[in-house]
Amino acid sequence: MMRGGMIHSWGGRALGLILGAVFFWSGFLKVQAPLAFADSIASFQILPLPLINLLAMGLPPLEILLGILLMTGWKRREAAFGVLTLTAVFLLALGQARLRGLEVNCGCFGEGASSPWKIWTAIGRDLFLGGAAWVVFWGSPSVPPLLWKKK
Amino acid sequence: MDHERSRPWRETMRRDMVAFVCMATVSLGVGLVVNQFRETPLPLLYQSKRVRFEQKVAHLLPPEMPGRSAAETPVCREIDLEEFRGFVEARRGIVLDARPEVFHRLGHVPGALSLPRDDFERAYARVRTRLEENREKAIAVYCSDAYCEDGQMVAEALLRLGFRHLLLFKAGWEMWTRTGLMEER
Repeated sequence: MMRGGMIHSWGGRALGLILGAVFFWSGFLKVQAPLAFADSIASFQILPLPLINLLAMGLPPLEILLGILLMTGWKRREAAFGVLTLTAVFLLALGQARLRGLEVNCGCFGEGASSPWKIWTAIGRDLFLGGAAWVVFWGSPSVPPLLWKKK
Repeated sequence: MDHERSRPWRETMRRDMVAFVCMATVSLGVGLVVNQFRETPLPLLYQSKRVRFEQKVAHLLPPEMPGRSAAETPVCREIDLEEFRGFVEARRGIVLDARPEVFHRLGHVPGALSLPRDDFERAYARVRTRLEENREKAIAVYCSDAYCEDGQMVAEALLRLGFRHLLLFKAGWEMWTRTGLMEER
């Protein structure tokens, strides 16, 4: 029960709070500039045209919702799972862009010019956020033992 | 809590996935509703930056002169730092800054006028007289760096609007400042 003690009492809560704040801020910035975010999504050249604006409209409120859930602690495990899923998708998108040599603007925290080194920054940041989400998910009280401890 | 822990992990994952799908659906609904209350709502079908910009430029063309289409527009010539520097210092023509105006205010190439891609209509109305007075002279456009496509888009727009001698300094502001050349604020 070592895991249950520290992690989901203080460490888990603090990490959830930080992760929630990051996602809330990221969603908040995107809500204010949906067109710029749609341009960022388009620069990845993965989605067909009819899905780009739908994602630009739907993803920012989802990030805000996940941020609020993580910060308040209500449904923290579900929110951490959501963040984990999103960061995995972001990493796949960034990875394929890097492999294809695309000049993408990540759009993660608002608009910005695209450049090759910025992809690496975004990949590093997503790995960190995904790791943090995994710790929060792993430290949630309702994750069954099979996920964290071999019998 | 013990009861929760004893639940098979696949069941937990399934529940988390269902919760995530529900959250994503609700968020999409909220996003669609919020979009309806925006000053300029996003259309359902995405239009690229270039297409949107070309539509804006088309509105600026006088009705009696439809202008050249993007396909038949001559290409502007790219110039390197040395040529651009000579152009600026000898005041051979007009220099245009295609970066957003806020960056222009923070610092720009001496004598450059602001003509940002993201506020083209308004900015063009401001510089139009100056450009038309110097119609026979060359116009050099620059943006932030080699990855910025706004300079190219602004230069192409000016070609469509009937200006002939367009030069593009692709390396842009980043190269200008890196080599320690003079800035104006």
